[in-house]
Amino acid sequence: MFGGTDPNKETYEAINAKFMEENSHVTIEDNSQTSDEEWKAAVNADFSVGNEPDVIQFFTDATADSIVATGKLVSIEEIRAEYPDYAKDTLDSALDAAKNTDGVQRAVPTTGYWEGLYCNKDLFDEYDLELPTDWESLETAILTFQANGIIPIACSLNNVPHYWIEFLMLYSSGIDEYTAVPTTAPEGWIKGLSMFQTLREMGAFPEDTDTVDDAYTGQLFRDKKAAMQLDGSWYAGNIEDTDNTVVIAFPGVPDQKAEANTIVGGISSGFYITRKAWDDPDKRDAAVKFVMAHTSQEGVQQYWEATGAVSQAAVEVTPVEGATPFAESIAAYTSSASAIVAPTDSRIGDAYKTLVSEIVKVSVGQMTAEDAINEAIAIIQSSTEQ
Amino acid sequence: MLYKKKWPLLLFLVPGLLFLLVFLYIPFVENIKNSFYEMSAVVRMPGQDWKFIGLENYKRLLTDMDVRSALTNTLKMMILTVIFEVGIAFVLAVMVSQIKRFQQFFRTVYFFPVVISATAIGLLFKLFYNYNGGMLNQILEHFGKEPVLWLGPDLAFVMICIPTLWSYIGFYFVILLTGLSDIPDDIYEAASIDGCSKFKQVFYITLPSLKPVFFTSVTLAVTGALKVFDLPWVLAPNGAPQGLTHFLGTYMYQTAYGLNNYDYASTQALLIVVLGIVVSKGVGAFTADREETGTGKRRRVKRREAA
Repeated sequence: MFGGTDPNKETYEAINAKFMEENSHVTIEDNSQTSDEEWKAAVNADFSVGNEPDVIQFFTDATADSIVATGKLVSIEEIRAEYPDYAKDTLDSALDAAKNTDGVQRAVPTTGYWEGLYCNKDLFDEYDLELPTDWESLETAILTFQANGIIPIACSLNNVPHYWIEFLMLYSSGIDEYTAVPTTAPEGWIKGLSMFQTLREMGAFPEDTDTVDDAYTGQLFRDKKAAMQLDGSWYAGNIEDTDNTVVIAFPGVPDQKAEANTIVGGISSGFYITRKAWDDPDKRDAAVKFVMAHTSQEGVQQYWEATGAVSQAAVEVTPVEGATPFAESIAAYTSSASAIVAPTDSRIGDAYKTLVSEIVKVSVGQMTAEDAINEAIAIIQSSTEQ
Repeated sequence: MLYKKKWPLLLFLVPGLLFLLVFLYIPFVENIKNSFYEMSAVVRMPGQDWKFIGLENYKRLLTDMDVRSALTNTLKMMILTVIFEVGIAFVLAVMVSQIKRFQQFFRTVYFFPVVISATAIGLLFKLFYNYNGGMLNQILEHFGKEPVLWLGPDLAFVMICIPTLWSYIGFYFVILLTGLSDIPDDIYEAASIDGCSKFKQVFYITLPSLKPVFFTSVTLAVTGALKVFDLPWVLAPNGAPQGLTHFLGTYMYQTAYGLNNYDYASTQALLIVVLGIVVSKGVGAFTADREETGTGKRRRVKRREAA
């Protein structure tokens, strides 16, 4: 997972190098890659043909269902029967959050994530605007920025509308409706996705939101051409102006049902040991030690600090001194959360992709939000029938 | 007879056949099979069964508006490739064949885009078309004009076609120029002596003599249009904006790897293959017919005269 351009890659490789130094009889054949769709397909293929690795860092949500179903991942309970100290530093709440969808703990996580609204505070100051705290103030900010030639919200609807999907649906539905896997299009989901059209008609998104990608809109935000961007904790490492950028809670939607400061986030990945390594007496001990090197307090502290000390750590971490105003805003945001809810894709798997692919059409009124949701529900139902 | 024993030839042909069998024909048959199942993942995981859904994907193919749009765009692209790729390549080839100096220079210059990867060309044109600070909008702003959304719903298809067509003109240019060099100079000389202008020579000598090469180029261009993928995908992924610029290749890719709907993507892949066979056969039949009425007929007359 920690491959490609992942900000954790350097830490991951450093821990691997140290591990091999301390365990000279162990050689790591590392095949870490960016966790994109092709990689997920390759992992599935490897597990299906008996070519699975000894240890894998992979998702813990519905994405992992297919490899969990193979029975090739060892549970933490089974490992602890022989290695009682396994994952000893990891918080119980973190292990619980990293459970697979069948409720079994198999993965040991390092860090979690949150999603929040990044704001260029200097732009808000320039146009004498308060940071948005509710729908009315968000609307005012959008209209003011729009009138002054600033893009209100940096978002590519064609590429990554995910964060907006989550928060609009969460705040329109409330936690219960939002977290339930639907059998018919929920009213709150419909209302939430319909907000895309409202926002688009207000001029909230870039003119070219239908054709640009996420990297481009992220640059618009960092270049101060856009005022706000809804994104995840992984985006924090890209922020250079840490004095004038802040992260705040999602302001809300009209007649919202979720409590203010409800956060989308959680823990969605962790290190698994496969049955292949566990059943091999030559590899069992090395696999356990390897996972513990990455998930111990020391290991997680390194991951946490390397990504700006802003993510949700799976162990007790030592706070970093001299935090920037940006990091302080994140600490304030995450500590004031009224609830933390995992995103929809962790529950509905591939059906979520269909939902994402229809957002542009929903935003221009070519398709109703209800039809888009029904399309996704049809996929959920067909996958549960199998 | 060059070889008395034929079996060594077969021996050398078998590895190629095996390679195609393993990497093309067996996967193709698998692909057809997959289109009748609901695939939960790209590979069948142990203990998992795929549900047989019969012709469901084919029914969906007939009603899917995005497929309709992708098919229309692909057919439009076929026509445009013939007109602009082969057409412009022919005009350039005729002009370059008329000059003695710098011919090699023009050959290299016109062929150059073919060797640049489509991804690089796509990124280049993306920089031209960008709404915020793109080259075209910078020029417009320099002249006090409003920026244009070059990849907006009205212009996107045309703006995607421009680099797609441009990047392959050089390929047909070289093929046609090679064909032109095969036409004997004495025909042109005789025509000049008879008072035929250069312009008329193109219509009465060059075009008829170049017919076989021309038809080969048309076949390549039309079937190539079915495979258009990388450049549109880089310029406007997911058929952006609003799925209006999907081609069959890009829509199939999005279905398979964007939506993980592998069975429906297999159905689309089959459509592309069937369309490819039909179109190439159609073009082949059309060109064979034309050659029959042209050079073929002349050949038969000569044969009869000789007899």
